[in-house]
Order: sequence, then C-alpha cells, then structure tokens
Amino acid sequence: MRSPFAYVPRRGPLQLASPGAAVSYLGAIVVVAFLYSNPLVLVAAGAAASLAGYLAGARSAVRAGLRLGLSLALLMIVVNALVTSRGETVLARLGDWPLLGRVDVTLEAIVAGLSYGLVAAASIVAFAVYSACVDPDRVLRALRPLAGRSALTATLVSRLVPVAAADATRLRDAAALRGPGAAAVGKAPLARRLLAGSLDRAVDVAATLELRGYSLDAPRARNRRARSRYDRRFYAVAAVVLTTAIAGKLLGADDFQAYPSIEIGLGPGTITMAAVVLLSGLAPLKRPARRPAPRLEVARV
Amino acid sequence: MSELAIRRGAAPALAVEGLSYAYPHAAARALEDVSLEVAPGEFVLLAGRSASGKSTLLKAACGLVPHFHGGEIEGEVRVADLDALATGPGELAAAVGYLAQDPETQVVSTTVAAEIELPLEMRGDAPTDRARAVEEVALALAIPHLLDRATDTLSGGELQRVALAAALVTRPRLILLDEPTSQLDPVAGDELIWLLRRLNEEWGVAVLLAEHRLERCLAAADRVVAMEEGGVGFDGVPADFLAWADEHDHALTTPAARLFSLAGIDPLPIGVRDAKQTLRGTGIAHSPHQASRRVRDPRPQAPVLQAKGVWVELDQGEETRDVLRGIDLQLRPGERVALMGRNGAGKSTLLRTAAGLHEPVAGKIAVDSIALLTQNPGDYLVRERVGDELPGEQGLAALRTVGLEHAIDADPRDLSGGERQRLALAITLAGRMEGEQPPGVVALDEPTRGMDRARKDELVSLIKRLASDVDLVATEATKSTRAAAVVVATHDVEFASEFAERVVLLGDGVVIADGPMAEILSGGWYFATEVARVLDLPGIVTPEQGAAALRGEAG
Repeated sequence: MRSPFAYVPRRGPLQLASPGAAVSYLGAIVVVAFLYSNPLVLVAAGAAASLAGYLAGARSAVRAGLRLGLSLALLMIVVNALVTSRGETVLARLGDWPLLGRVDVTLEAIVAGLSYGLVAAASIVAFAVYSACVDPDRVLRALRPLAGRSALTATLVSRLVPVAAADATRLRDAAALRGPGAAAVGKAPLARRLLAGSLDRAVDVAATLELRGYSLDAPRARNRRARSRYDRRFYAVAAVVLTTAIAGKLLGADDFQAYPSIEIGLGPGTITMAAVVLLSGLAPLKRPARRPAPRLEVARV
Repeated sequence: MSELAIRRGAAPALAVEGLSYAYPHAAARALEDVSLEVAPGEFVLLAGRSASGKSTLLKAACGLVPHFHGGEIEGEVRVADLDALATGPGELAAAVGYLAQDPETQVVSTTVAAEIELPLEMRGDAPTDRARAVEEVALALAIPHLLDRATDTLSGGELQRVALAAALVTRPRLILLDEPTSQLDPVAGDELIWLLRRLNEEWGVAVLLAEHRLERCLAAADRVVAMEEGGVGFDGVPADFLAWADEHDHALTTPAARLFSLAGIDPLPIGVRDAKQTLRGTGIAHSPHQASRRVRDPRPQAPVLQAKGVWVELDQGEETRDVLRGIDLQLRPGERVALMGRNGAGKSTLLRTAAGLHEPVAGKIAVDSIALLTQNPGDYLVRERVGDELPGEQGLAALRTVGLEHAIDADPRDLSGGERQRLALAITLAGRMEGEQPPGVVALDEPTRGMDRARKDELVSLIKRLASDVDLVATEATKSTRAAAVVVATHDVEFASEFAERVVLLGDGVVIADGPMAEILSGGWYFATEVARVLDLPGIVTPEQGAAALRGEAG
C-alpha cells in the first residue's frame, strides 16, 4: 500500500513548477505559520496549505496531513493545559499530580496550546502537500551540484524507504505464517533481520546508481531543465506572502496574547494578513484551456 | 575513446581473456580462467547451473566486479575496447547496459521518465537530446504510456521493462541480462525475450543473457556459452550446445531436445519451430487419436480446502481492486495442484487468503490446516542456528519431513539455496503436523525463482513425498497415513508438468480452467509445455510421454 504522502506525478501547476518555485511557495506558508501566533492567521495558513493541496490533486495527502496535524495539535493543547497553570480563567482544579505538581487547567493555557498546535498542523499539511506534489528526484538533482554526497545519500535513502517498507511487510507476513511449533519471532530478531536485509538492499540500489553514472562528475549547468511557465506565479505569490507577513509583523498584525488573559487582535492588519495568506492557497489553480474565438462566417456572394 | 568511435569501431562488444576472480573473503574463486568474446550485434545465451559463475561474469562485464564488489581479479575484460578493469561502471555505462534479476532495486527514481533519463543526465547530455532518447527507447519497449507513472505503482513486469529502458537509453553496444524472466509469467517472459531479439536485430545491440529456462530463449540465441564451476564448459552454436548438454549435463538440456533424444531423432531441435520442421522432414507424423490421456483419480475424501464464491479486495494506494472475484475451489488430500496464470491474476492472493493473511470481502474459505511458504524463503530465517528456529520435538519432526535433521546445528546462512528453502518450509510446517503427518494443505508460492533444473528436481521429489500417503520419513517408527494437498503457484510450466496432476488457471481473479495437468498444459500456447507445443497432442506434456508417443508411431 502506498503512503498518502508519496509523490504522485500529475500535470498540475504545482507539480510542473520547478522545485525552487514550489519550495518557495509552500515554504512561505510555513514561514507565516512560524512567524505568527494569532490563531486567525494560523488557521488561514493551514487552510491555504490544504487548499493548495486540494487544487493540486493531493487530496489524500491533505487528509492524512490534517489527521496527523490536528491530532498533534490536540496533544499539544492537552499537554500545555496540564503543564502550564498560568492564566486567569481557571476551568478545573485537578489537584496534585506526580511529577506535574499542582494542576490547574486554564482557558489561557488551552488557547496558547491551540496556537502552538495550529503552527504544527499548518506546517505538517504544507509538508504533506510538498511531499505529494514536488518530485523528490528533481529536488535531489537540483541539490547535487551543490552537495553531491548529501544528494547521493538522500537519493539512496529515498529509494530505500519504500523498499524497506515492502521488506518489513514481507517479514511480518513470514512471521505470521510460521508454524506454532517454530520458535516465535519477537520484534528484536525481526528488526535485526530487516536491518541486515536493508544493508543488502542498499548495496543493490547503490550498484544501480553506480551503473546509471551517479559517480560521474555533477552535471553541468546546461543539464538543468527548462523552467516551468508556472514558476513566475509561485515565486510571485511567495514574495507577496513573505513581504506581507514581514510587514504585518512589524506593523502589529500579529496581535495575540494568551497570558495572563486572552487577547486576540482582529484588526484590519490581522484580517488583511489572514486574507492574503488564505488567497495564496489558490496559486495552484489551473486555468481552463482557452478556446479560440469562433470565426464569423462570411457569406460569399 | 569517444562514443562515436565506440559505435563505429569493429572491436568486439565484449572480450574476456584469462579472467579469474574471487569475492572478498571467499574460499573459492567464482571465475576461473574465463575467456570469451561477444561480437558486435551477437545474441549470446549464458547457460549453467546455479553458482556456476554466470552472474559474476556479467558483473565483471559491466564493471561492478571488481570496482563495486572488491575482491581479487586477474586477466583482462574489454567492453567495446574500453578496459573494464581500469574504467568504472559509470563510464562503462555508455557502452554496456546491465539488468539484474530483481527489478525492485534497479529503479532509483520516483517517475518512469526520470528513471530512464537519469543515465543521460548523469553524463551531461542536453535536455533536448535526453527527451528524444527517452521517447525513442520508450517506443521501442512499448512503454510510452508508463512515462508519467510513479515507479512504485508498477508491476514486476513493468518495472523490468523500465529498468531495461534505463539500461538501453544510452544506446549501449552490449546489454547484459541476469535471469530477467525469472519473475515474469510465460507471456511476459516470451515478450521480453523477443523484444531483446528485435532490439538486437534492429539496433545492433549485442546481448549476453543468463537464463535457467533455456527453452524460452535458445531459439533467439546465435550462440551459447555454458559455465561450469566458474569456467567455460561449452562455447558454440545452440544446436551443438544441445548435443553437448545431452551427453554432458542433462540439467541444461531443453524439453524438446530431451524429447528428440529419448525418441532417437536427430538433430536435436533448438526450438518449437525447428522441432516441428524436423518431425515433418523425417516423416514422423503423430495423430491425436493415439495419444494417451491421463485419467484423473476421483479421490473421494473430504476436501481439505474449500473456497466458495471468494472475493478479495486489496488496497492499492489511491484505489482498491478486486483481486479475487468469486473463486470456487476444492482441494482434496494427496492432490498436487499447480496454480497458474499471468502476473496479477490472483495466485498469491488466493494462497494468502487461504492462509489467513487476507480476509475475503464476500464468500467463504475453509481450510483444514495450511502451511504456506511465500516467495522469499530468507524471510523466515531470523536466527543463527537451525535448531533455534525449530526447537523441540515438533521442530525435529518438521526437519525430518524436509530431510534436514542432519543440519540442526548449522547456521541457516551456510545452507545451500535448496536447503534454505526446505528449512523455511519446515518452519511453516512445525506444529501443524500430527506426529509425522503433514497439515491438510501445503502451499508454495513461486518456489522455483532462480532455480536450476537439479534443484527443481529435488523440489519435485519433496512435493511428491508430502502429497503421498506412504511414510514421509525414513524411520520405521513413524509412518504417515495422511497425505497433504500440495498447491504451488508457479509460472514455470515445465516444473508444473513434473509435479502436478491438476492445474488451476486463474485469469484476472477468476478460475478460467481447472482440470488434469496433462489436459490443461497441452491445450494452449503460453500455458503449455514445450513438448506440448511441439507435438500438439492432447495429454502429452513431458519429454518421456512425447518420446513414447513418437516411438509408437514411428514403429
């Protein structure tokens, strides 16, 4: 079974864009998530990443990213509520807990946890879209002239991950098929066997890379692919988002405070920022093909 | 030397002189004083038993030996006039392509187009040249529809073609293939061999192909080199090779040649067409009326496996697929059944469902008790002593059943390939036997991949013992009275004709034929033995049966 985060080749703008343009665009959304703590802007960042994924056709990656991100967000809210007793609005006094001491659950700690969780969720969804839409081979090959050894290692690892996953499934099946009279297989021998098998597999994959000429000098500049017609769009959107984000931060658009009492700014700056980020999610939209205008029939006399 | 010079030059595609090689820390040499030459545009078949040095010779020809594997090497290897011992595999890739057995580790990119383009990109070709080369090789291998696919969504046969395309995209003078058909069904295997022949004829690519199933590719070859214990045992044209194999090593002969040899007809045929022509020329005609037909034992016992309307749906990433679609099947004790069909027909899924690894979405499957050995016996071996894998009396009984009780203190890694497979089978049997009696069903999934004839014969004996109701082990104290139903999923029609008495043919998840082996394997073209294709007599599938029929008619 394929991972929902696995790259799927499609003919959408995000997939056709060069790795630099796609990474800049998705990276800008992640930067906003880390730069801001206002929940409205963070929700906009998460929504933009999800929208981008949906428009790019990576629906299962977005769903999986949202599941993972929101679960993590929930965990962060719970942990923050338990370990932080700051805040004026006490919702529950849970008494003394081992290790944690006195636990007071406050509304402020929950909202602060939500803010951290939204940062994580938006970043995870953006990464899920990156993973499903940006060809890792193109990224690695773009990196190769800059860091050959790292690119080789990353290529080897990126190929070994699915191979090792398939091996692990086979080993689990074989363990399940052992007769009841055979020695039981615990996790440790299975892991050892998988590791030993992975080393053999790594040798085979490395041999293939060698045969494909990976040990030759890094390709020259003319080797680079032609830029996609969508590159400019993604670079432009990334620039607008980053500029707006930095300007907004400097001008006080990130108006949020959790302690001692909650203050969520919803001024024009924050709303503008959220709107810009949300609209950036439309960048992978593919325009319908233009049809030629119908020609007027000229009656010949 | 420039690529242009390589192409125009009259130098041999491969020249090996006095080559000896030992892998690091190996006790014996894998190659011993090997000398041979492959001319430009020649199609050479590399024959030989397992561990005879075929794979090592191919690796030396593409530079992996010694540059990648290390070890000690003597002699000379020149590929298109490049010194392979001084030049690395990356540089040699312009002149030689290599395709190994396992396609899964031969694909390193995420998309098919990127995979095929990679060797050109690595050597610095311009994007326009790369695009054209990818398009041309994709057209030649009939895979343009795969170019935009992700490589991890391809089937084994598709992966094999993509790996071949990546090996051919640089337009090498020589292509090396190590058992490329071992994981393919007969249809895909035949397609691949004739595709190679076409590339050989149209592109002028020299081919050096290592194979065990010689009947599949002998007719396509210009020459055969037979390896024996690391050296060259024979080097000549296919007809002479068959005569040599008939005298020297029966394990290397083809079923059609064996048929002629047993029937006393000369010359031995290199393929089906050749055999038919000879039979017509000698005036030995055969009539379907005189052919014997095997009668199926009705076997009145209760079934040990009963499947009724079984549907199995498997998740394949973005979508699910019905892999089994309403299968009805019964197996009775003592039956030896070959489960056949194209790649993806549902053979493995049926066995895995019977063993409880998949749950049917509709229908029922009832099994008495089943031991399933999957395709990779190595997956079952996780400890460093045979006795630790199979402790106690139950373990010992299982070892006795497969004839490995003598190896109880051995390290599984020190066992031969055939012994490792028997050990894995014993692991699945242990505890499922009643005393020395096997479980109701013993299932093997593609057990002959990469096996030579001698190992296949050993496996046939074991299958027959498991399915027989005489004593399984050679001790007076333990007599077995129950026979297992043995079901083997296989692409190997010749192997099926040796062990099976019934063949179940699957197609796209449904049973499309189910009947006596001799009837099924003589009634088609792809799923038919070579002897059946030569004689075209109902019920005649093995060389022995065919020779008897020919002798009877000739006399």
